[in-house]
Amino acid sequence: MAIRLPEGDLETRLERYQEGLRAHGNIEEYETKGNTVQVTTAPGEVPAVLAAAREELNILHLSFITVVDRQGSFELTYELLDLRGGRVRVKTTVEGEEPVISTATHVYPTANWHEREAYDMFGMAFAGHPDLRRPYMWQDHFDHHPLLKSFEISTKRTFEGLR
Amino acid sequence: MLSEEHVKGETALSGRASARLTAPDVRTEFGLETLDMNMGPQHPAMHGLLRLVLELDGETVVRCDPIMGYLHRCQEKIAENRMYPAVIPLTDRLDYFANMHMEHGYVLAVEDMLDVEIPPRAEAIRVLMCELMRIASHTPSIGFLMLELGAFTPILYSFRERERIQTIFEAVTGARMMFHYIRLGGVKADLPPDIPEKIWEYIEDLESNFQRDFVDLIEGNEIFIARTRGVGRITPEKALEMGLTGPPLRCTGVDMDLRRDYPYSWYPNVDFDVITDEGGDVEASYRVRIKEILQSIRIIKQVLENLPEGEVMADMGRRIRPAEGEGFGRVESPRGEFAVHVVSDGSDTPYRVHYRDPSFVNMQLLQEIIPGHYLPDIMPIMGLIDPVSGGWDK
Repeated sequence: MAIRLPEGDLETRLERYQEGLRAHGNIEEYETKGNTVQVTTAPGEVPAVLAAAREELNILHLSFITVVDRQGSFELTYELLDLRGGRVRVKTTVEGEEPVISTATHVYPTANWHEREAYDMFGMAFAGHPDLRRPYMWQDHFDHHPLLKSFEISTKRTFEGLR
Repeated sequence: MLSEEHVKGETALSGRASARLTAPDVRTEFGLETLDMNMGPQHPAMHGLLRLVLELDGETVVRCDPIMGYLHRCQEKIAENRMYPAVIPLTDRLDYFANMHMEHGYVLAVEDMLDVEIPPRAEAIRVLMCELMRIASHTPSIGFLMLELGAFTPILYSFRERERIQTIFEAVTGARMMFHYIRLGGVKADLPPDIPEKIWEYIEDLESNFQRDFVDLIEGNEIFIARTRGVGRITPEKALEMGLTGPPLRCTGVDMDLRRDYPYSWYPNVDFDVITDEGGDVEASYRVRIKEILQSIRIIKQVLENLPEGEVMADMGRRIRPAEGEGFGRVESPRGEFAVHVVSDGSDTPYRVHYRDPSFVNMQLLQEIIPGHYLPDIMPIMGLIDPVSGGWDK
Protein backbone atom coordinates (compact mmCIF):
# COMPACT_ATOMS: atom_id res chain seq x y z
CA MET A 1 0.00 0.00 0.00
CA ALA A 2 1.35 3.35 -1.00
CA ILE A 3 -0.20 5.18 1.92
CA ARG A 4 2.33 5.88 4.63
CA LEU A 5 0.87 7.24 7.83
CA PRO A 6 3.28 9.02 10.19
CA GLU A 7 4.97 7.02 12.91
CA GLY A 8 6.90 7.72 16.05
CA ASP A 9 6.69 10.05 18.95
CA LEU A 10 4.12 12.85 18.75
CA GLU A 11 6.38 15.57 20.16
CA THR A 12 9.22 15.04 17.70
CA ARG A 13 6.66 14.94 14.89
CA LEU A 14 5.13 18.26 15.95
CA GLU A 15 8.61 19.78 16.07
CA ARG A 16 9.29 18.48 12.58
CA TYR A 17 6.01 19.97 11.31
CA GLN A 18 6.82 23.34 12.79
CA GLU A 19 10.32 23.38 11.32
CA GLY A 20 9.11 22.14 7.95
CA LEU A 21 6.37 24.73 7.66
CA ARG A 22 8.72 27.55 8.65
CA ALA A 23 11.16 26.44 5.95
CA HIS A 24 8.52 26.55 3.23
CA GLY A 25 6.44 29.62 3.74
CA ASN A 26 6.65 33.08 5.10
CA ILE A 27 5.25 32.25 8.54
CA GLU A 28 4.34 35.25 10.67
CA GLU A 29 3.55 33.47 13.91
CA TYR A 30 3.78 29.92 15.10
CA GLU A 31 2.77 28.17 18.26
CA THR A 32 2.67 24.58 19.48
CA LYS A 33 0.03 23.85 22.07
CA GLY A 34 -0.94 20.35 23.11
CA ASN A 35 -1.10 18.26 19.95
CA THR A 36 -1.54 21.26 17.64
CA VAL A 37 0.92 23.29 15.59
CA GLN A 38 -0.69 26.59 14.70
CA VAL A 39 0.87 28.83 12.07
CA THR A 40 -0.28 32.22 10.83
CA THR A 41 0.67 33.30 7.35
CA ALA A 42 -0.18 35.82 4.64
CA PRO A 43 -3.02 34.79 2.28
CA GLY A 44 -0.66 34.53 -0.67
CA GLU A 45 1.48 31.96 1.15
CA VAL A 46 -1.34 29.56 1.99
CA PRO A 47 -1.03 27.29 -1.08
CA ALA A 48 2.74 26.97 -0.53
CA VAL A 49 2.30 26.16 3.16
CA LEU A 50 -0.43 23.59 2.42
CA ALA A 51 1.67 22.04 -0.35
CA ALA A 52 4.61 21.72 2.04
CA ALA A 53 2.34 20.10 4.62
CA ARG A 54 1.01 17.52 2.19
CA GLU A 55 3.98 16.77 -0.01
CA GLU A 56 6.89 16.99 2.38
CA LEU A 57 5.47 16.53 5.85
CA ASN A 58 3.00 13.82 4.77
CA ILE A 59 -0.04 15.37 6.47
CA LEU A 60 -2.73 13.73 4.38
CA HIS A 61 -6.07 14.87 5.72
CA LEU A 62 -7.71 18.28 5.37
CA SER A 63 -10.42 18.29 7.99
CA PHE A 64 -12.20 21.55 7.25
CA ILE A 65 -11.90 25.19 6.21
CA THR A 66 -13.63 27.75 8.40
CA VAL A 67 -14.24 31.38 7.51
CA VAL A 68 -14.97 33.93 10.24
CA ASP A 69 -16.35 37.33 9.30
CA ARG A 70 -14.43 39.89 11.38
CA GLN A 71 -16.33 42.81 9.82
CA GLY A 72 -13.79 44.29 7.44
CA SER A 73 -11.60 41.24 7.17
CA PHE A 74 -12.06 37.49 6.95
CA GLU A 75 -10.20 34.97 9.04
CA LEU A 76 -9.60 31.57 7.46
CA THR A 77 -8.67 28.42 9.34
CA TYR A 78 -7.39 25.34 7.55
CA GLU A 79 -7.38 22.38 9.90
CA LEU A 80 -5.10 19.50 8.90
CA LEU A 81 -4.76 16.13 10.62
CA ASP A 82 -1.83 13.76 10.26
CA LEU A 83 -4.26 10.98 11.34
CA ARG A 84 -1.98 9.88 14.19
CA GLY A 85 -2.70 12.40 16.91
CA GLY A 86 -1.09 15.52 15.44
CA ARG A 87 -2.95 18.58 14.18
CA VAL A 88 -1.72 21.47 12.06
CA ARG A 89 -3.79 24.62 11.88
CA VAL A 90 -3.01 27.22 9.21
CA LYS A 91 -4.54 30.63 9.81
CA THR A 92 -4.69 33.63 7.53
CA THR A 93 -6.58 36.90 7.27
CA VAL A 94 -7.97 38.26 4.02
CA GLU A 95 -8.73 41.98 3.96
CA GLY A 96 -11.45 43.77 2.06
CA GLU A 97 -15.14 43.59 1.23
CA GLU A 98 -14.72 41.28 -1.75
CA PRO A 99 -12.17 38.76 -0.53
CA VAL A 100 -10.16 36.58 -2.88
CA ILE A 101 -7.73 33.81 -2.00
CA SER A 102 -6.09 31.06 -4.06
CA THR A 103 -7.75 27.69 -4.01
CA ALA A 104 -6.34 24.69 -2.17
CA THR A 105 -8.01 22.13 -4.44
CA HIS A 106 -4.83 21.23 -6.30
CA VAL A 107 -3.14 20.32 -3.00
CA TYR A 108 -6.10 18.82 -1.14
CA PRO A 109 -8.86 17.86 -3.61
CA THR A 110 -11.30 17.57 -0.72
CA ALA A 111 -11.11 21.36 -0.33
CA ASN A 112 -13.46 21.57 -3.33
CA TRP A 113 -16.74 21.50 -1.44
CA HIS A 114 -15.39 23.26 1.64
CA GLU A 115 -14.48 26.19 -0.61
CA ARG A 116 -17.83 26.07 -2.39
CA GLU A 117 -19.52 26.30 0.99
CA ALA A 118 -17.34 29.25 2.04
CA TYR A 119 -18.15 31.00 -1.23
CA ASP A 120 -21.85 30.40 -0.73
CA MET A 121 -21.95 31.61 2.86
CA PHE A 122 -19.41 34.46 2.76
CA GLY A 123 -18.87 35.39 -0.88
CA MET A 124 -15.25 34.37 -0.47
CA ALA A 125 -13.86 33.85 -3.99
CA PHE A 126 -11.28 31.10 -4.48
CA ALA A 127 -9.10 31.87 -7.50
CA GLY A 128 -8.46 28.81 -9.63
CA HIS A 129 -11.30 26.75 -8.17
CA PRO A 130 -12.60 24.28 -10.79
CA ASP A 131 -16.29 24.48 -9.96
CA LEU A 132 -17.24 27.45 -7.78
CA ARG A 133 -21.03 27.09 -7.60
CA ARG A 134 -23.23 27.59 -4.58
CA PRO A 135 -24.02 24.28 -2.87
CA TYR A 136 -26.88 25.49 -0.66
CA MET A 137 -28.45 28.76 -1.75
CA TRP A 138 -30.13 29.42 -5.07
CA GLN A 139 -27.46 29.98 -7.68
CA ASP A 140 -29.33 32.39 -9.98
CA HIS A 141 -31.57 34.57 -7.87
CA PHE A 142 -30.15 34.90 -4.38
CA ASP A 143 -27.58 37.65 -4.17
CA HIS A 144 -26.87 37.49 -0.44
CA HIS A 145 -24.31 35.58 1.59
CA PRO A 146 -26.13 34.53 4.74
CA LEU A 147 -23.29 34.09 7.20
CA LEU A 148 -21.95 37.62 6.74
CA LYS A 149 -22.49 39.70 9.84
CA SER A 150 -24.09 42.37 7.63
CA PHE A 151 -26.87 39.89 6.74
CA GLU A 152 -29.40 40.68 9.48
CA ILE A 153 -32.06 38.16 10.38
CA SER A 154 -35.54 39.35 11.38
CA THR A 155 -35.58 37.52 14.72
CA LYS A 156 -32.29 38.95 15.97
CA ARG A 157 -32.12 38.78 19.76
CA THR A 158 -29.81 40.30 22.29
CA PHE A 159 -29.20 38.97 25.75
CA GLU A 160 -27.71 42.08 27.30
CA GLY A 161 -30.51 42.79 29.80
CA LEU A 162 -30.22 39.35 31.39
CA ARG A 163 -28.55 38.68 34.67
CA MET B 1 -12.63 0.83 -36.73
CA LEU B 2 -11.44 2.10 -33.43
CA SER B 3 -7.86 3.12 -33.20
CA GLU B 4 -5.87 1.76 -30.32
CA GLU B 5 -5.52 5.03 -28.46
CA HIS B 6 -9.30 5.40 -28.33
CA VAL B 7 -9.60 2.04 -26.67
CA LYS B 8 -6.95 3.06 -24.18
CA GLY B 9 -8.62 6.41 -23.57
CA GLU B 10 -11.70 4.77 -22.16
CA THR B 11 -9.82 3.52 -19.12
CA ALA B 12 -10.10 7.05 -17.76
CA LEU B 13 -13.31 5.88 -16.13
CA SER B 14 -12.97 3.57 -13.19
CA GLY B 15 -16.18 1.67 -12.66
CA ARG B 16 -17.48 -1.71 -13.71
CA ALA B 17 -18.61 -0.45 -17.09
CA SER B 18 -15.20 0.74 -18.19
CA ALA B 19 -15.20 -1.57 -21.22
CA ARG B 20 -17.82 0.64 -22.83
CA LEU B 21 -16.86 3.48 -25.10
CA THR B 22 -17.35 6.28 -22.63
CA ALA B 23 -14.39 8.53 -23.46
CA PRO B 24 -15.66 11.93 -24.65
CA ASP B 25 -13.54 12.03 -27.82
CA VAL B 26 -14.85 8.61 -28.89
CA ARG B 27 -18.40 9.79 -28.37
CA THR B 28 -17.78 12.84 -30.51
CA GLU B 29 -16.13 10.89 -33.29
CA PHE B 30 -18.89 8.32 -33.57
CA GLY B 31 -21.67 10.80 -32.93
CA LEU B 32 -22.82 8.92 -29.81
CA GLU B 33 -25.25 11.02 -27.85
CA THR B 34 -25.59 11.11 -24.10
CA LEU B 35 -28.81 11.50 -22.18
CA ASP B 36 -29.23 13.83 -19.22
CA MET B 37 -31.25 12.31 -16.44
CA ASN B 38 -32.48 13.75 -13.19
CA MET B 39 -32.59 11.53 -10.13
CA GLY B 40 -34.32 12.88 -7.06
CA PRO B 41 -34.75 14.94 -4.96
CA GLN B 42 -37.85 12.90 -4.14
CA HIS B 43 -36.55 9.46 -4.87
CA PRO B 44 -37.80 6.52 -2.81
CA ALA B 45 -34.36 5.02 -2.32
CA MET B 46 -32.43 8.26 -1.84
CA HIS B 47 -31.06 8.99 1.61
CA GLY B 48 -33.03 12.14 2.23
CA LEU B 49 -33.39 14.96 -0.27
CA LEU B 50 -30.63 14.81 -2.84
CA ARG B 51 -30.81 15.47 -6.54
CA LEU B 52 -28.32 13.84 -8.86
CA VAL B 53 -27.97 15.22 -12.37
CA LEU B 54 -26.67 12.30 -14.39
CA GLU B 55 -25.30 12.13 -17.90
CA LEU B 56 -25.91 8.68 -19.32
CA ASP B 57 -24.33 6.86 -22.21
CA GLY B 58 -26.66 3.92 -22.57
CA GLU B 59 -26.86 2.63 -19.04
CA THR B 60 -23.43 3.92 -18.06
CA VAL B 61 -23.13 7.11 -16.08
CA VAL B 62 -20.48 9.41 -17.50
CA ARG B 63 -21.07 12.42 -15.26
CA CYS B 64 -22.72 12.82 -11.89
CA ASP B 65 -23.46 16.16 -10.30
CA PRO B 66 -24.95 16.08 -6.80
CA ILE B 67 -27.19 19.07 -6.09
CA MET B 68 -28.11 19.67 -2.48
CA GLY B 69 -29.64 22.37 -0.33
CA TYR B 70 -33.19 21.03 -0.12
CA LEU B 71 -32.99 20.74 3.66
CA HIS B 72 -30.72 23.71 4.29
CA ARG B 73 -31.68 25.55 7.47
CA CYS B 74 -28.52 27.61 7.93
CA GLN B 75 -27.94 26.07 11.33
CA GLU B 76 -24.71 28.03 11.63
CA LYS B 77 -26.53 31.39 11.39
CA ILE B 78 -29.23 30.31 13.84
CA ALA B 79 -26.52 29.27 16.30
CA GLU B 80 -25.03 32.77 16.17
CA ASN B 81 -28.26 34.18 17.61
CA ARG B 82 -28.72 31.75 20.47
CA MET B 83 -27.07 31.32 23.83
CA TYR B 84 -24.44 28.60 24.05
CA PRO B 85 -26.61 25.96 25.78
CA ALA B 86 -29.53 26.68 23.45
CA VAL B 87 -27.54 25.51 20.42
CA ILE B 88 -27.42 21.89 21.70
CA PRO B 89 -31.01 20.99 20.70
CA LEU B 90 -30.28 22.35 17.21
CA THR B 91 -27.29 20.05 16.80
CA ASP B 92 -29.70 17.14 17.29
CA ARG B 93 -31.24 18.13 13.97
CA LEU B 94 -27.98 17.93 12.06
CA ASP B 95 -27.35 14.24 11.53
CA TYR B 96 -30.64 12.89 12.83
CA PHE B 97 -29.38 9.31 12.79
CA ALA B 98 -26.54 10.11 15.20
CA ASN B 99 -27.95 12.82 17.44
CA MET B 100 -25.78 11.94 20.43
CA HIS B 101 -22.59 12.37 18.45
CA MET B 102 -23.70 15.76 17.14
CA GLU B 103 -24.43 16.96 20.69
CA HIS B 104 -21.16 15.54 21.91
CA GLY B 105 -19.11 17.28 19.22
CA TYR B 106 -20.61 20.69 19.91
CA VAL B 107 -20.35 20.29 23.67
CA LEU B 108 -16.68 19.28 23.40
CA ALA B 109 -15.96 22.39 21.33
CA VAL B 110 -17.51 24.76 23.89
CA GLU B 111 -15.92 22.93 26.83
CA ASP B 112 -12.58 23.34 25.06
CA MET B 113 -12.90 27.08 25.72
CA LEU B 114 -14.34 26.81 29.21
CA ASP B 115 -11.64 25.09 31.26
CA VAL B 116 -14.09 22.89 33.12
CA GLU B 117 -13.55 19.42 34.50
CA ILE B 118 -16.22 16.96 33.50
CA PRO B 119 -17.13 14.37 36.18
CA PRO B 120 -15.92 10.89 35.18
CA ARG B 121 -19.40 9.40 35.49
CA ALA B 122 -20.71 11.94 32.98
CA GLU B 123 -17.91 11.09 30.55
CA ALA B 124 -18.65 7.37 30.87
CA ILE B 125 -22.38 7.94 30.31
CA ARG B 126 -21.62 10.05 27.23
CA VAL B 127 -19.55 7.25 25.74
CA LEU B 128 -22.21 4.69 26.67
CA MET B 129 -24.89 6.73 24.89
CA CYS B 130 -22.69 7.41 21.87
CA GLU B 131 -21.92 3.74 21.38
CA LEU B 132 -25.59 2.77 21.69
CA MET B 133 -26.26 5.48 19.12
CA ARG B 134 -23.63 3.99 16.85
CA ILE B 135 -25.41 0.63 16.92
CA ALA B 136 -28.71 2.41 16.31
CA SER B 137 -27.16 4.11 13.28
CA HIS B 138 -25.12 1.28 11.78
CA THR B 139 -27.95 -1.27 11.81
CA PRO B 140 -30.31 0.93 9.71
CA SER B 141 -27.36 1.73 7.41
CA ILE B 142 -27.10 -1.96 6.63
CA GLY B 143 -30.87 -2.23 6.38
CA PHE B 144 -31.10 0.66 3.89
CA LEU B 145 -28.33 -0.81 1.78
CA MET B 146 -30.16 -4.12 1.58
CA LEU B 147 -33.50 -2.42 0.92
CA GLU B 148 -31.94 -0.65 -2.04
CA LEU B 149 -30.75 -4.00 -3.32
CA GLY B 150 -34.28 -5.38 -3.05
CA ALA B 151 -34.16 -7.31 0.21
CA PHE B 152 -36.89 -6.28 2.62
CA THR B 153 -36.15 -8.43 5.66
CA PRO B 154 -32.93 -6.77 6.92
CA ILE B 155 -34.56 -3.36 7.28
CA LEU B 156 -37.17 -4.88 9.58
CA TYR B 157 -34.48 -6.50 11.70
CA SER B 158 -32.40 -3.35 11.81
CA PHE B 159 -35.31 -1.13 12.75
CA ARG B 160 -36.28 -3.63 15.42
CA GLU B 161 -32.84 -3.10 16.95
CA ARG B 162 -33.09 0.67 16.53
CA GLU B 163 -36.50 0.76 18.20
CA ARG B 164 -35.20 -1.20 21.16
CA ILE B 165 -32.30 1.21 21.57
CA GLN B 166 -34.67 4.13 21.23
CA THR B 167 -36.74 2.67 24.06
CA ILE B 168 -33.59 2.71 26.21
CA PHE B 169 -32.91 6.31 25.15
CA GLU B 170 -36.48 7.24 26.00
CA ALA B 171 -36.04 5.88 29.52
CA VAL B 172 -32.73 7.73 29.96
CA THR B 173 -33.34 11.05 28.21
CA GLY B 174 -37.12 11.38 27.88
CA ALA B 175 -37.05 11.57 24.09
CA ARG B 176 -36.84 8.98 21.37
CA MET B 177 -34.84 10.94 18.79
CA MET B 178 -34.08 14.58 19.65
CA PHE B 179 -32.48 13.96 23.01
CA HIS B 180 -30.86 17.18 24.27
CA TYR B 181 -29.15 14.92 26.80
CA ILE B 182 -25.46 15.81 26.65
CA ARG B 183 -25.13 19.24 28.23
CA LEU B 184 -22.29 21.65 28.78
CA GLY B 185 -20.51 20.28 31.84
CA GLY B 186 -21.97 16.79 31.87
CA VAL B 187 -25.24 15.11 31.04
CA LYS B 188 -28.81 16.12 31.83
CA ALA B 189 -29.55 13.43 34.40
CA ASP B 190 -28.07 10.31 35.87
CA LEU B 191 -29.07 6.93 34.47
CA PRO B 192 -32.26 5.56 36.05
CA PRO B 193 -31.29 2.79 38.54
CA ASP B 194 -32.58 -0.12 36.44
CA ILE B 195 -31.12 1.06 33.13
CA PRO B 196 -27.57 -0.38 33.31
CA GLU B 197 -29.08 -3.82 33.79
CA LYS B 198 -31.55 -3.29 30.93
CA ILE B 199 -28.78 -2.14 28.59
CA TRP B 200 -26.75 -5.19 29.56
CA GLU B 201 -29.69 -7.51 28.85
CA TYR B 202 -30.33 -5.85 25.52
CA ILE B 203 -26.67 -6.02 24.49
CA GLU B 204 -26.46 -9.71 25.38
CA ASP B 205 -29.60 -10.36 23.38
CA LEU B 206 -28.29 -8.42 20.37
CA GLU B 207 -25.00 -10.25 20.53
CA SER B 208 -26.57 -13.69 20.69
CA ASN B 209 -28.79 -13.05 17.65
CA PHE B 210 -26.36 -10.90 15.73
CA GLN B 211 -24.78 -13.63 13.64
CA ARG B 212 -28.18 -14.97 12.59
CA ASP B 213 -29.91 -11.66 11.81
CA PHE B 214 -27.19 -9.56 10.26
CA VAL B 215 -24.42 -11.84 9.04
CA ASP B 216 -25.83 -15.20 7.97
CA LEU B 217 -28.83 -13.55 6.35
CA ILE B 218 -26.75 -11.21 4.18
CA GLU B 219 -23.16 -12.31 3.79
CA GLY B 220 -22.70 -14.88 1.03
CA ASN B 221 -26.03 -14.08 -0.58
CA GLU B 222 -25.56 -14.35 -4.32
CA ILE B 223 -27.50 -11.20 -5.21
CA PHE B 224 -25.77 -9.21 -2.49
CA ILE B 225 -22.35 -10.22 -3.79
CA ALA B 226 -23.27 -9.53 -7.41
CA ARG B 227 -24.55 -6.06 -6.59
CA THR B 228 -21.82 -4.96 -4.17
CA ARG B 229 -18.51 -6.72 -4.82
CA GLY B 230 -16.24 -4.43 -6.81
CA VAL B 231 -18.89 -1.69 -6.92
CA GLY B 232 -17.69 1.76 -5.92
CA ARG B 233 -14.14 0.56 -5.43
CA ILE B 234 -11.86 3.27 -4.02
CA THR B 235 -8.14 3.15 -3.46
CA PRO B 236 -6.77 4.34 -0.10
CA GLU B 237 -4.98 7.20 -1.92
CA LYS B 238 -8.23 8.38 -3.46
CA ALA B 239 -10.07 8.04 -0.17
CA LEU B 240 -7.55 10.24 1.64
CA GLU B 241 -7.49 12.74 -1.22
CA MET B 242 -11.24 13.12 -1.04
CA GLY B 243 -11.12 13.60 2.73
CA LEU B 244 -13.16 10.50 3.54
CA THR B 245 -13.46 9.44 7.16
CA GLY B 246 -15.34 6.76 9.02
CA PRO B 247 -16.35 3.40 7.49
CA PRO B 248 -15.81 4.57 3.86
CA LEU B 249 -12.17 5.33 4.71
CA ARG B 250 -11.60 2.26 6.88
CA CYS B 251 -13.05 -0.07 4.24
CA THR B 252 -10.16 0.89 1.96
CA GLY B 253 -7.62 -0.30 4.53
CA VAL B 254 -6.56 3.02 6.10
CA ASP B 255 -6.28 2.39 9.81
CA MET B 256 -7.75 5.56 11.31
CA ASP B 257 -10.32 6.06 14.02
CA LEU B 258 -10.65 9.32 15.91
CA ARG B 259 -11.63 7.40 19.04
CA ARG B 260 -8.14 5.88 19.12
CA ASP B 261 -5.99 8.44 17.28
CA TYR B 262 -7.50 11.62 18.74
CA PRO B 263 -8.88 10.24 22.02
CA TYR B 264 -11.59 12.22 23.76
CA SER B 265 -14.00 11.75 26.62
CA TRP B 266 -13.93 8.25 28.18
CA TYR B 267 -12.39 6.43 25.18
CA PRO B 268 -8.81 6.26 26.57
CA ASN B 269 -10.21 4.01 29.32
CA VAL B 270 -11.78 1.39 27.09
CA ASP B 271 -10.24 -1.23 24.89
CA PHE B 272 -11.39 -1.79 21.32
CA ASP B 273 -10.10 -2.63 17.86
CA VAL B 274 -10.19 -0.36 14.84
CA ILE B 275 -11.83 -2.31 12.04
CA THR B 276 -10.34 -2.11 8.56
CA ASP B 277 -10.95 -4.02 5.37
CA GLU B 278 -8.96 -4.26 2.16
CA GLY B 279 -11.83 -4.36 -0.32
CA GLY B 280 -12.65 -0.66 -0.61
CA ASP B 281 -16.03 -1.46 -2.18
CA VAL B 282 -19.62 -1.56 -0.98
CA GLU B 283 -19.28 -5.09 0.36
CA ALA B 284 -16.22 -4.08 2.41
CA SER B 285 -18.10 -1.14 3.92
CA TYR B 286 -20.86 -3.55 4.98
CA ARG B 287 -18.29 -5.81 6.66
CA VAL B 288 -16.70 -2.83 8.43
CA ARG B 289 -20.06 -1.69 9.80
CA ILE B 290 -20.95 -5.19 10.99
CA LYS B 291 -17.67 -5.54 12.87
CA GLU B 292 -17.91 -2.04 14.31
CA ILE B 293 -21.24 -2.94 15.90
CA LEU B 294 -19.50 -5.82 17.68
CA GLN B 295 -16.77 -3.43 18.86
CA SER B 296 -19.44 -1.04 20.15
CA ILE B 297 -20.96 -3.90 22.11
CA ARG B 298 -17.50 -4.54 23.57
CA ILE B 299 -17.11 -0.88 24.58
CA ILE B 300 -20.57 -0.75 26.15
CA LYS B 301 -19.81 -3.83 28.25
CA GLN B 302 -16.56 -2.33 29.48
CA VAL B 303 -18.22 0.96 30.37
CA LEU B 304 -21.04 -0.77 32.23
CA GLU B 305 -18.61 -2.96 34.16
CA ASN B 306 -16.54 0.02 35.31
CA LEU B 307 -19.15 2.76 35.55
CA PRO B 308 -17.69 5.37 37.94
CA GLU B 309 -19.78 6.73 40.78
CA GLY B 310 -20.41 10.38 41.52
CA GLU B 311 -21.92 13.48 40.02
CA VAL B 312 -23.00 13.76 36.40
CA MET B 313 -22.83 17.55 36.08
CA ALA B 314 -19.98 19.96 36.75
CA ASP B 315 -20.69 23.33 38.35
CA MET B 316 -21.05 25.57 35.32
CA GLY B 317 -22.39 28.77 36.83
CA ARG B 318 -25.55 30.40 35.67
CA ARG B 319 -24.42 32.09 32.51
CA ILE B 320 -22.02 30.50 30.10
CA ARG B 321 -19.74 33.12 28.58
CA PRO B 322 -16.44 31.69 27.34
CA ALA B 323 -13.54 34.11 27.08
CA GLU B 324 -12.61 35.46 23.68
CA GLY B 325 -11.01 32.70 21.63
CA GLU B 326 -11.91 29.55 19.84
CA GLY B 327 -12.65 25.95 20.63
CA PHE B 328 -12.56 22.73 18.64
CA GLY B 329 -14.45 19.52 19.16
CA ARG B 330 -14.05 16.37 17.17
CA VAL B 331 -15.89 13.08 17.49
CA GLU B 332 -16.08 9.89 15.47
CA SER B 333 -19.69 9.80 14.38
CA PRO B 334 -21.04 6.66 12.66
CA ARG B 335 -20.39 8.37 9.31
CA GLY B 336 -16.94 9.71 10.07
CA GLU B 337 -15.29 12.75 11.51
CA PHE B 338 -17.72 15.29 12.93
CA ALA B 339 -15.82 18.42 13.90
CA VAL B 340 -17.10 21.65 15.39
CA HIS B 341 -15.28 24.98 15.46
CA VAL B 342 -16.74 27.58 17.80
CA VAL B 343 -15.45 31.15 17.93
CA SER B 344 -16.33 33.27 20.94
CA ASP B 345 -16.26 37.05 21.32
CA GLY B 346 -16.92 36.91 25.06
CA SER B 347 -20.69 37.37 24.83
CA ASP B 348 -23.60 35.02 25.51
CA THR B 349 -23.88 33.86 21.92
CA PRO B 350 -21.23 32.19 19.79
CA TYR B 351 -19.61 34.54 17.28
CA ARG B 352 -19.33 31.73 14.77
CA VAL B 353 -20.12 28.03 14.76
CA HIS B 354 -18.85 25.80 11.99
CA TYR B 355 -19.87 22.18 11.58
CA ARG B 356 -17.73 19.84 9.56
CA ASP B 357 -20.20 17.13 8.74
CA PRO B 358 -18.98 13.73 7.50
CA SER B 359 -21.96 13.28 5.16
CA PHE B 360 -21.16 16.55 3.39
CA VAL B 361 -17.50 15.72 2.85
CA ASN B 362 -17.95 12.04 2.02
CA MET B 363 -20.56 12.90 -0.59
CA GLN B 364 -17.89 14.56 -2.73
CA LEU B 365 -16.97 11.02 -3.62
CA LEU B 366 -20.17 10.66 -5.67
CA GLN B 367 -18.95 12.83 -8.51
CA GLU B 368 -15.62 11.02 -8.47
CA ILE B 369 -16.61 7.36 -8.44
CA ILE B 370 -20.08 7.16 -9.99
CA PRO B 371 -18.85 7.93 -13.55
CA GLY B 372 -18.14 4.57 -15.14
CA HIS B 373 -20.74 2.70 -13.14
CA TYR B 374 -24.11 1.49 -14.33
CA LEU B 375 -27.18 3.40 -13.27
CA PRO B 376 -28.39 0.73 -10.77
CA ASP B 377 -24.98 0.84 -9.03
CA ILE B 378 -25.68 4.34 -7.73
CA MET B 379 -27.84 3.16 -4.86
CA PRO B 380 -25.29 0.66 -3.45
CA ILE B 381 -22.69 3.45 -3.65
CA MET B 382 -25.02 5.70 -1.67
CA GLY B 383 -25.17 2.84 0.81
CA LEU B 384 -21.36 2.84 1.03
CA ILE B 385 -21.24 6.53 1.87
CA ASP B 386 -24.51 6.44 3.80
CA PRO B 387 -25.05 10.21 3.96
CA VAL B 388 -27.85 11.78 5.99
CA SER B 389 -29.76 14.72 4.60
CA GLY B 390 -29.79 16.77 7.78
CA GLY B 391 -26.03 16.39 7.97
CA TRP B 392 -24.95 17.45 4.50
CA ASP B 393 -27.47 20.30 4.32
CA LYS B 394 -26.87 21.69 7.82
